[in-house]
Amino acid sequence: MLTSDFILATLADGLFAAIAGTGFAIISNPPRKALLISAFLACVGHGVRFFLTHYELIQMNLASASTLAALTIGFLAIPFAIYIKCPAEVFAFPSLLPMVPGLFAYKTVIALIKMVQSSAEADTAQYVVQFFHNGITTVLVMFGLVVGAVIPIFIFHRQSFSVTRPVIMKKRGN
Amino acid sequence: MDIHAELKRVTMFLADYAATLMAVGVQTSRVVRNTGRMAESFGFQSHMLIFQRNVIITVNDDEKEHTYTRVQKIPQLGLNFATNMNLSKLSWEVYDNHMSLDELETRFSEIRDRPRESPWTVLLLVSFANACFCRLFTGDIVAMATVWLATFVGFFIRQQLMKRHWNHLAVFTVSSFAASMIGSTGYLFGWGTTPDMALGTSMLYLVPGVPLINGVMDIIDGHVLAGFSRLVNACMLIICIALGLSFTLLITGISVM
Repeated sequence: MLTSDFILATLADGLFAAIAGTGFAIISNPPRKALLISAFLACVGHGVRFFLTHYELIQMNLASASTLAALTIGFLAIPFAIYIKCPAEVFAFPSLLPMVPGLFAYKTVIALIKMVQSSAEADTAQYVVQFFHNGITTVLVMFGLVVGAVIPIFIFHRQSFSVTRPVIMKKRGN
Repeated sequence: MDIHAELKRVTMFLADYAATLMAVGVQTSRVVRNTGRMAESFGFQSHMLIFQRNVIITVNDDEKEHTYTRVQKIPQLGLNFATNMNLSKLSWEVYDNHMSLDELETRFSEIRDRPRESPWTVLLLVSFANACFCRLFTGDIVAMATVWLATFVGFFIRQQLMKRHWNHLAVFTVSSFAASMIGSTGYLFGWGTTPDMALGTSMLYLVPGVPLINGVMDIIDGHVLAGFSRLVNACMLIICIALGLSFTLLITGISVM
């Protein structure tokens, strides 16, 4: 059921993701106008992923949900790219940053370290399972994110590769 | 001008341009496209080979009578999306209304030397970002405060060490260690209800998201080698983050991770 609590939780998730997205994006010095858009896209993207993974009728796994969220971001990024004349990647990629599976990535490494440290065989088996679970989640989410965000850029190939071209409208008129 | 002298100047400039684009974190296919477009506006063709540390570029004239090749080292500049956007714009400007090489060089160095955001703004925003990130992993307000402080200290250390040109891997290990030490205080003193999340997210600001994304993007584009070298670099950094964290776990004796 779509309760008001759930909707509020989704919105809160989006808002916190927007702040997280802004902060992680600013490390790579984006243009100011792109920063606001990437915050908005991060909000929408993470909200979509939260909805897909937590809504009880869907309960999707993290990799598929991330792909769909990234797809949403990619489709929204195209009109913005045309509007502010800036490559779509400049704000689509920073808005993916809050969804990058960093926690899973270093948990993979920690599992590896523990696997080497443990002496009992039963413990080792447990860490092997953790290693593969976290590692494969990392890889799949990572690929899902990029593939999702890039598909719209490839679909709208012409528009997205020439958005930084200032006189394109004039040329078409000729 | 003598064709060879011109070819040489254009190649020198294009090599510098491509290396700068690679340094600020542009995906390989865009580097190749932008550089090719600029070469075309001078009536030349460019062919390039891109590695993690070097760019090799050959420029020839239309009749393929003359060629010039240059191997250019990629400088260490740090990721910069503003430079990415402005240099892409510049390449279209050159293509659409041809400029002289002198003008182009001035424009290029002006764009490259534009100042970055102030380090203090970045520090504050990253701290708040990571605190909110902790909230996304269901951390409570105490965990968020811990993570804020951990990120502030950890990122400050990272900025200072980067300024002193320490080795990247060492910087990441030290910064991750400092952040996770502060992140573990919740555990040690029993503050809040989600100390595990405070510890787990305290050094997530270090995760090299942009190189990971660029690496996957390169692989999809078919620049598999360039993509893999980016991914391997990013993985090294992640291993360093985990190393810093495991030092903390070793010292504090926490074993839940």
